[in-house]
Amino acid sequence: MFDNVRVPEIKDEAAPVHAKSVTAGEVSASQYTPEERALILRVGVYVRMRWLVILGIVAAALIASLVFDISFSILPVSIICGAMVLYNLIMFRWTNSLKAEPTGIVLKKAERAANVQVLTDLVIFTILLHYTGGIENPFIFFYLAHTIAAGIVLPQTRAYQLATIAVSMITLLVFLEYAGVVSHVNLEGFVRPDRYENLGRVLAVLVALATLIYGSTYVTTAVLGELRRRQRDMVALKDKLLEKRAKELEQISAEVVKLEDERRSFARFLGVVAHDLQSPLVATQSVMSYILEGYTGEITYGQKDLLERAVRRIDGLLTLITDLLDIPRIETGQVSREMREISFNEVIKKSLEGLDNVAQQKGLTLKLELPQSSPLVYGASRRLQQVMTNLVSNAINYTNEGTVSVKVIDNENDARVEISDTGIGIKPEDMPRMFNDFFRGSNVTSKGTGLGLSISKRIVEAHGGKIWAESPDPETHKGSRFTFTIPKKGAAASKEK
Amino acid sequence: MNRKPKILIVDDDVDLVQVMKGTLESKLFEVIVAHNGKEGLQKAKGEKPDIVILDIMMPVMDGWAFAEQYNKDPLLAKTPVLALTSFSESLGQPFPFQVSEYLQKPLKPKDLIAKVEEHLKKLGM
Repeated sequence: MFDNVRVPEIKDEAAPVHAKSVTAGEVSASQYTPEERALILRVGVYVRMRWLVILGIVAAALIASLVFDISFSILPVSIICGAMVLYNLIMFRWTNSLKAEPTGIVLKKAERAANVQVLTDLVIFTILLHYTGGIENPFIFFYLAHTIAAGIVLPQTRAYQLATIAVSMITLLVFLEYAGVVSHVNLEGFVRPDRYENLGRVLAVLVALATLIYGSTYVTTAVLGELRRRQRDMVALKDKLLEKRAKELEQISAEVVKLEDERRSFARFLGVVAHDLQSPLVATQSVMSYILEGYTGEITYGQKDLLERAVRRIDGLLTLITDLLDIPRIETGQVSREMREISFNEVIKKSLEGLDNVAQQKGLTLKLELPQSSPLVYGASRRLQQVMTNLVSNAINYTNEGTVSVKVIDNENDARVEISDTGIGIKPEDMPRMFNDFFRGSNVTSKGTGLGLSISKRIVEAHGGKIWAESPDPETHKGSRFTFTIPKKGAAASKEK
Repeated sequence: MNRKPKILIVDDDVDLVQVMKGTLESKLFEVIVAHNGKEGLQKAKGEKPDIVILDIMMPVMDGWAFAEQYNKDPLLAKTPVLALTSFSESLGQPFPFQVSEYLQKPLKPKDLIAKVEEHLKKLGM
């Protein structure tokens, strides 16, 4: 019951003190355990409190003698106060010197400082009490302050030892005075002089005081013991958590290595699959071309037509296989491994080689507009050519008359390519799905694999760029326009996917 | 030069070799065939071809390992290599020969002849 009430109180008290002493400029406080830090703080609080107590005694003595006209000799009280000031100065230095002690040793030293202080305080207080009326003085209950403080600072058994010492001291003092061994100082005008001679009263006060002393010791040690236990638990928990995190990190890095291994073997696997799927088709293709070109003798028109059909189908299949195997390659970060510093204009020019012929055969004009100095980009040259080939051949495929124009714009942060055509355009309902796998426009008779645009998107995005389509072209109001951007070298770093 | 241009084909695909051999022989070139990199290297050293046509993906010794050995021979290092690759194999890899060119598979006979003749012409043949 007490635990629940007292814990927050003690915490609240400790908090501002803690803040103060940190600003006071401790050098090594950070290396102490929380328990050590708390103990040093409490010993410091002792010293500060003692200044108040000295002031309190002086004030109480003055008020008692001047205001209430209680008679007791001021001299011993003054001497005791002077002694306390001296002793507290020593304690002040001792406490400060604790902060220079290394962790581990400091706990013992601080405990000793606390012991010495509590014990000395008890002795001084008992002497003070003797000169200010002994059992007559209601401040006799201030013994409690000591035992509470001891309960806070010291371990349980020590606190009980001190409580016992305190009780013994009062009892000794009171009985010495009662027996007349030590002369009793009567607070004249405050308490009747026969009071200390009344055994029943004396015993009642002593029992009440002893009960309070032990009771407060019990409460403080219970609460503080619990607090210390929690502190230790927290430290243990923190260590455990740290250990767990370290283990997790280890595990994760092992997993990363494993994933990288898996990625590599997957890439190898894809390589073998690609080769083994393509090889027979390539051989078949070559054999058919060989026949088609007449190396095995003249062939009829019908044979030629059929062979050409077969060649086209195998061409389509080869492209599909290449595209299908390309997707996992790109998705496992292949593109960033191919990246070099490249001249963008060169890439664009190279990608159009051969395509101008295709355009010409269709009666189309292929226009190219390049910036005077080529933008420098960090990119995968063949992959960007793949994107270009894809977009430009699409434009040529879906344009029956007019122009296909390629325009490269050198922006501050990126190189931007616009491929415009005057072709059939894209239906609005197709727009959102344009870059999906296996997408084919609803207004076109399907030719391709439906993977070209989705692969282009993956490649552009692996460079950290963007790709989009507009139809009709916002400038010519005809056909469609595809735009993609590639970050320039030094601009936004291209991230691996 | 009077002698017939000598061409070495290094490829493990027998059907493809058959076609390329037939194609090149129709042009009255002398054609030597090897079925893997190791054999190709031996024949390259022994026969001293004018041009090597090399498949990159091969068992026993692939094109890359072949290139490493090939470049050590100063005479061979100057002999042009036409590297046969499919698109996905060649991506992003700078080719390790002094005089070389990619030939993308599938390759039409007439394109093969055009390329070979182009390189022979450069060699002054």
